Amino acid sequence: MDRWWSDGTERGGVLWGGVIAIVLTGTFLGVFQNALVRRGDKDDGLAWKYVPPKLDTLESLQAAAGGTAPTPAPAPASADPNDPLQMPADLGGTEIPDVGRPIEITVKTARGLVDSKGAAIIDAREAADYAAGHIPGAVNLPFDEVITDPVRLEAFDPKGKPILVYCGGATCELSMKLGYELVRLGKKRVLVYTGGWPEWTAMGYPVEKGA
Amino acid sequence: MAALEFFRHPTVRRIAQIGAGVIFLAAALPKIADLESFAGSIHNFHMEPVVPMALTNVLAVTIPWIELVAGLALIANVKPRAGAVVYTVLMTFFTIAVIAALARGLSFDCGCFGKSGAANLGAMKLLENVGMLVLGLVASLERRG
Repeated sequence: MDRWWSDGTERGGVLWGGVIAIVLTGTFLGVFQNALVRRGDKDDGLAWKYVPPKLDTLESLQAAAGGTAPTPAPAPASADPNDPLQMPADLGGTEIPDVGRPIEITVKTARGLVDSKGAAIIDAREAADYAAGHIPGAVNLPFDEVITDPVRLEAFDPKGKPILVYCGGATCELSMKLGYELVRLGKKRVLVYTGGWPEWTAMGYPVEKGA
Repeated sequence: MAALEFFRHPTVRRIAQIGAGVIFLAAALPKIADLESFAGSIHNFHMEPVVPMALTNVLAVTIPWIELVAGLALIANVKPRAGAVVYTVLMTFFTIAVIAALARGLSFDCGCFGKSGAANLGAMKLLENVGMLVLGLVASLERRG
């Protein structure tokens, strides 16, 4: 083996040398390309350190607003704090502030809003997933379709209620992106239920089927 | 073993190498075009217990280019066996990541071939990965004579 290229007979040191060469070349090209792009414009390419997308939670906003977080009424001794039936159901949409960006909500708040019909709900998953089951009252606006078609998003009328967005991922970056898009289009009080469909079904909460 | 002899046939191995190379090119190009989506996909796997989250972007920047170089090596028949080993090792990691995600009940578009309308993680994805892994093993078989 005295050629730098080969017909697939390389083995031992030559083989591993080739493996290392491929990995190093790829790594170098990737880092080089990204560095080059970022030299042109810092917003292009990827930051070297990853910062996970994060939203303010409703609880943190309420706490910041000066302790207006609803203190739960003293429950009976036998009460299970995780029992959804004993949670305050009526949020009515009135306690939700408009902060000009999406707000993350928990399954508890989501359940309250669904039960009280206090929010217009958007299911951002694909149509087939929606048809197989969704949160009661949700309207299907698949992320891939509407992100390229803002007219459909603009036409969505929450009738003065907050908008609750959810999708199928565990942290649901799609619903976050959709939330930001809705705010950009001028929608008020956009809530992102990050637990989404997996958490909702895991809790055994009511679902609705059909397209 | 007769079956192994069949896979050792130069033509069979060469076809496997080209197939694996095409798969890696098809996987690499959309990711390079949209690194941000790929970083989001990596984040979705939630590998923080093993891979620090801060490394997400470093992986997103380097993996597609390693795929590209390995894919080109496989197709162009330049160090194809080394390319096949890189392919197989990466595919093993991907398959482990898919299994780990499925085991925790995560469901999302894996971004394996970029963002374009891929289905969510599921049994099909796992099967696909195992198939691609076998292809890599065949492509990495040592040539005799």
